[in-house]
Amino acid sequence: MGIKSSFLIAWRSISRRKTKNLSVILAVALGVTLLVGIQITTDTLENAFLTSLLQTEGEVDVRISNSTSGEYLGAADQEIIEDMVPDAVGIMPELSSQIPGLVESQFDPNMEIAGIQLNYSNVFGTFYDWKTGNKINLDTMLINNNTILMSSDQAEKLGLDSSISLPFNITTEFTNLTTVIIPPPLVPLSNWTINPEYTDSPHVLSSNPLGLHVELQPVNFTSIVTAYTISAPNLKLSDYAYVNVTVSGSNNALITLGFFLDDGSSFLVANLTSPSIVNEIPFDLTPYSDRILRGDVYVSVMSSNGTQTSVDITEIAFETPTIGGSSREPTISFIPELERVELTIVGFFDSNRPGIGSQYSGVILKLEDLQSWISLQDPFQNTDIISAYLVAYKTDHFTQEISEEFLKIKVEEIEESIPEETDKITGETYKIYTVTSPRLTFFNIAGFFITLLSTILTSLGLLITLTGLLLITNIQLMSVEDREFQTGVLRAVGENRGGIFQSIMIENLFQGIFGGIIGLFGGLAFGQAVAIYLVSLFGTGQQSVQPIISQEVVILSVVAGIILSILTGILPALRASRVNIVDALRGIKIKFESKSSRNLFALGILIIVLGILFLLNNGIINESTQVFWSSKGWDTLAEWRNLMLGFGMLAAGIGLVLSRYINRVKAFNITAIVLWITPSFLFIVAMGNWITDIGSLSIEILLIGIGQIIIGSVLFLSLNLPIVMRGLRKFLIKIRGMKGVAEISPALISSHITRSTLTFAIFAIILTLNVLVATLIPTSLGTITQLESDSQGVDFAVFLNKPEAVINGTSFSAELYELDSRINDVIGFKTFNPSQDYTKFTALEDPSSSDFDVTRDLLPIGLTEFKSIQIRGNASDYSDDNWRYPYYLNSYPDGVREEYSSDLTDEELLVLSKKAWDQFFDLEYKMSAYNVSSGILEVISGESDISDLQIGSGEEGPFATNGDPLEGVDPIKDAEGNTIDNPIVFTDSFLLPVGMQVWIPMNTSSFGVPNYQAFTIGGSLDNQRAGGFPLGSGINFGGGESDFSAALGSLYLNEYWANQTNFLGFANGESPKSRALTQYDSYLIKSSLSIDDPQLEQIAQLIEEFTNTNDEGYRLLADDNFYVASTALTYARVEQTLQLTERLTSFLQIYVTFGLAIGAVGMGVISVRNVAERKREIGMMRAIGFPKSEVILSVLLELVVLGIIGLAIGVVNGLIISKGFANMQNMALLIPWDQIGIYLSFIVLIAIGAGSIPAYVASRIPPAEALRYVG
Amino acid sequence: MKKIKNQEKEQENSIILSITNLHKRYNESKSNEVHALRGIDLTVRKGDMMAIMGPSGCGKTTLLNMIGHLDRRSSGDIIIGNVNTLTLSDNQMTSFRRDNIGFIFQLFNLFPFLTAVENVETPLLLKGMNSGLAREQAKMLLRELGMGDRLYHQPSELSGGQQQRVAVGRALINQPAIILGDEPTGDLDSTTSSDVMALFRRINRTNKQTLVLVTHNRWIAEQCDYIVHMRDGKISHSEQGPFNKKEKKQ
Repeated sequence: MGIKSSFLIAWRSISRRKTKNLSVILAVALGVTLLVGIQITTDTLENAFLTSLLQTEGEVDVRISNSTSGEYLGAADQEIIEDMVPDAVGIMPELSSQIPGLVESQFDPNMEIAGIQLNYSNVFGTFYDWKTGNKINLDTMLINNNTILMSSDQAEKLGLDSSISLPFNITTEFTNLTTVIIPPPLVPLSNWTINPEYTDSPHVLSSNPLGLHVELQPVNFTSIVTAYTISAPNLKLSDYAYVNVTVSGSNNALITLGFFLDDGSSFLVANLTSPSIVNEIPFDLTPYSDRILRGDVYVSVMSSNGTQTSVDITEIAFETPTIGGSSREPTISFIPELERVELTIVGFFDSNRPGIGSQYSGVILKLEDLQSWISLQDPFQNTDIISAYLVAYKTDHFTQEISEEFLKIKVEEIEESIPEETDKITGETYKIYTVTSPRLTFFNIAGFFITLLSTILTSLGLLITLTGLLLITNIQLMSVEDREFQTGVLRAVGENRGGIFQSIMIENLFQGIFGGIIGLFGGLAFGQAVAIYLVSLFGTGQQSVQPIISQEVVILSVVAGIILSILTGILPALRASRVNIVDALRGIKIKFESKSSRNLFALGILIIVLGILFLLNNGIINESTQVFWSSKGWDTLAEWRNLMLGFGMLAAGIGLVLSRYINRVKAFNITAIVLWITPSFLFIVAMGNWITDIGSLSIEILLIGIGQIIIGSVLFLSLNLPIVMRGLRKFLIKIRGMKGVAEISPALISSHITRSTLTFAIFAIILTLNVLVATLIPTSLGTITQLESDSQGVDFAVFLNKPEAVINGTSFSAELYELDSRINDVIGFKTFNPSQDYTKFTALEDPSSSDFDVTRDLLPIGLTEFKSIQIRGNASDYSDDNWRYPYYLNSYPDGVREEYSSDLTDEELLVLSKKAWDQFFDLEYKMSAYNVSSGILEVISGESDISDLQIGSGEEGPFATNGDPLEGVDPIKDAEGNTIDNPIVFTDSFLLPVGMQVWIPMNTSSFGVPNYQAFTIGGSLDNQRAGGFPLGSGINFGGGESDFSAALGSLYLNEYWANQTNFLGFANGESPKSRALTQYDSYLIKSSLSIDDPQLEQIAQLIEEFTNTNDEGYRLLADDNFYVASTALTYARVEQTLQLTERLTSFLQIYVTFGLAIGAVGMGVISVRNVAERKREIGMMRAIGFPKSEVILSVLLELVVLGIIGLAIGVVNGLIISKGFANMQNMALLIPWDQIGIYLSFIVLIAIGAGSIPAYVASRIPPAEALRYVG
Repeated sequence: MKKIKNQEKEQENSIILSITNLHKRYNESKSNEVHALRGIDLTVRKGDMMAIMGPSGCGKTTLLNMIGHLDRRSSGDIIIGNVNTLTLSDNQMTSFRRDNIGFIFQLFNLFPFLTAVENVETPLLLKGMNSGLAREQAKMLLRELGMGDRLYHQPSELSGGQQQRVAVGRALINQPAIILGDEPTGDLDSTTSSDVMALFRRINRTNKQTLVLVTHNRWIAEQCDYIVHMRDGKISHSEQGPFNKKEKKQ
């Protein structure tokens, strides 16, 4: 019979056997739904990232700014830049800065302002009204320098909504720089009087502001005239280098000029000196630098020859030192004054809409108006300032994404064409502009995360798709099994094997097409659900995240459907075509041969060889690792990968080989056990004890482990199913009313081992993943007890937007104690964020060396002071128990680091940390600088690629936390070969490895250049315990509000060094930024409540109300309505740190939940099929006296038993893998038993739900009818 | 449900099965309605061995299913022992059937996934008997039936005659009052058939168990005490079996 008959048979089979076909189609549809859903999710994810980029970058492709940090561009640059980007479709100057914004009691300390041209090029798009969605005409709205438009983002931050009536006022501060010219202090020349005590001759005194004239008519050689004043300035002589006296007089005049000091002593500037000498030589004040003038000055004149003489003093000036010696020029100083300004909001624009508006998340002003406001802080009030020129290469980025390659080429081109200039001092040439493309950077970062995410999603998706495959195979197998009789008949009437095969494959083809099409719709729904979920995760606006359905997906779905059904159909079809006609007609089930064929034997040998190769890889092929039989080895993940693969293959091969000689079950039991034990051992024992240098997750190891554990356990149970079932029978048969069921169900399960295995395997896989995902969050979160001890009692932190006011008799801390009696301890800290002030940036290269590159080596890292009292309290050293806030470190300075090993307990780690703190506060202690660099920084600066970062291996890289990071690293030596020893600082920045040398700006010298002090990074604050150091900030990706500077973290200086700065310390007390000793801005609060107590939230709120209410509470005390407190609960912080994990987990949750749904549907289908094909047996059961209830029970029991076997495997495997996961992350495994309980009940419910309806229906069929049933 | 046998002990030759005006329609009130039984009246005395004969489609199997309560009747009464089965609920009927009626089918209808002994012991287990005891009884019976060496074989490993012996064993294990056989030898060759029939005869004689067999084989029917002939859903006539006649004559 030919293809035609095969078609006919296939078609009839499809059209007549509806339920059976529907179940296959359903299974295929589920599989395709998964595939399509995963594809759509990955596409959508990518799109979500890109969209969130579009939201922040609008239509801007490239921005060009001054290559010197902090310097502006001018209007003149526009022409040069236009020449550099000839094919740009739009160029626009922009001035952006930050200002504080206060609306009623709402406050944003860092509101962004941008000044833009009103006649900007239309390729940049339009501003749209928040409420109406209409275009906004900026020209008619921004009418003067007080009118602004606010973004909807900013409005939401300030608690405003679109219904607010406009115009609306907002208060802000601009810095107004007043130039003060201070002339050198002078001794006033008016109001001098004669001191009669020292005057004995006729004289003339004329004293006026222009000069002092003293004339003497000597009566003898000792005649003298003395004049004095008491209105000279009370100067601190340390500030002045010289006294310069401008005097003229007769040649015979002898001048004595004396100044009295505060202690009553005096010094003489001139002692009987002739005027010309006095005039020429300035008097050096250095010997008196620690003294202060009392205010009285005298001058005596004598005559050298006894004749008349006169002296004219026109100036007595105190001079400051300068490069050339001394200067007569006046000192110019700039006094920044904060000017409070009311701005009027005339409209809100929608920052979630495509167009230029999406670029700005703060407020916008007219360019010229902002220039004039910002120019106030410039000493010369220059208004020609532009922070960047924005360049657009195409329009409508929102509808069509610009090509990454194109952008790369463009950036390179611009880079090439930037004009160069020569540095006047160093003589080096440098490019005058910097070109950046946040869009391009984002492509890289997004690419990195998408790859990471989609690797995880795809591998997980594959596992779940595997369950779909199992389901389809299962159902296909059923189809063939219960058609064996017909197949036998077909063969008997003359169909050949090929024909049988053909007709079944044709049937599969039809099922595949239908299933694929249905699956496509399922996948679309799945994708849509995920997209909606993505919107809620990324919060990037409603229309921004659309599920991306590419053409490929549509084709993929149908093709996948066909492939799925055919692939899963081949085995059953082959089986059917090999049916022994007589056996089939007699109803004898086909059985596999119980021993392996020669081919399998050969395959086994091959796999054994491969396995041995993998094992030999350790230590022999790859000599850097330990051989697998060495007890010293087995301590790296790479070795374990080989061990897992090697042992797995070895065992599989041995199973195949042995099964030729011994019983297959026994042979493969060995395989199953080895497959299961190896990764379990790795996850539970090896990772906890032997492998010490796991930095973080290794997806590869996880996947191999998960695969082996699942295969091993499923295989083991499958092989031993008859034994388990015998046990079940023994148990059930003792129960009255279950005896019949006991006789039937277990026998039935073990009579269909393949089918039963497939059924429980589906659940085993899904539940393994479910349990794994369920343990992820609690494991990462840690226990409350652990959290309580890690946090060292700090329940929350309070941040002021600026240092607290100096108020007589009280302080912010003192006020906090008063607010709530449950507050036990308030630890104040001084923090400083350099923000845009590049003179306060930390240098990563010696600023005095020629390698120093301003654009690359300066980072806006925050600086914070640690006082011993804040950390150690009254404790003197580590042996003392009464530390106030002994925060954990995870890398330590020399002298402590050597004591570290990976198996230390928490207490031991704390002692180690305390020792490190002791060194931190020890001013004598210095640590060598090491030759380390920061990998991430190189990525950020573009020197290396993000893909070079090793995140997975854990051996090095930013996320590595274990081991000695400086092992094998050499200290840096200077030219003489001595090690460079520096005082140490601590950090919480993931960028700065321990041992690295940094330069922190101390007090600014009189030249306006910072004095850099070199430090060695002596340790890092633990960034995982209790969510990391509460004053540091975590990295937060995808939230749309990532602040680069905050993500960089901080450096922590001890008290002594903090006071050498004028932004943290007391310093000379004259800089506007210098702070009083206790002028804190951040406070860590310990309370009597538990760390997760919800009442903490109330206390925090109380503090915010106390500080943030106009003209009340703290604002009243400080007489300043610009004080804003914000609070951060440690517990919430921990949760926040987990956000990335949580986001990832919630994705996984969708997947595994979907897997569970597949399991449920699959079970339903299987039970329907089971019942349908066992109608005859059910008839027999009823005939020999099974009551209906026992018929139902026996059907249900089968499903429940399989479900529970799956559950048991899943839970055990899930826990093993979770343990491995926890070990990889160095965390304690926390098991959410309640959630596992939910899964248990869910599975039982599914089994009962899926089975009960068909079982009930079956029990209702009259036995006579059931007996007639022939399938 | 008590066993009929016990009640009946006193009354030898009493009526064990009485059917009056039994009707069965398939697909009732549908276009393809089939009136399979059109008013059957039949009485069977205890210890009788009766054959029902007739051409294909005359309603033999339907009648047997009605007697065994494997299907619902459309109308009419069936009284087994003193019990009018119309008054029994489904569950009562199930246990009544388990205790009083044994089935033997043409296709044996053994559970393919159970061994011979498991197939036989199942009805005992259903009654709640201790599993060890049930196993012993089943073994004993199978040995009696000459299947002692095939106790742990699955049906697919047994020949047709052996399968039918197991099926007989399963029907007998509860010592039911009535054994119903639907073409019990239909699938067997003539030698095996006569073996099985001899077995039935022996059971009927030694245990005084009532047998009702459906067959279209004249030779099989002639082994019985009575032969009831059916045509178009009705009993056309009945006759005494030749052995019965002979016995009576002698």
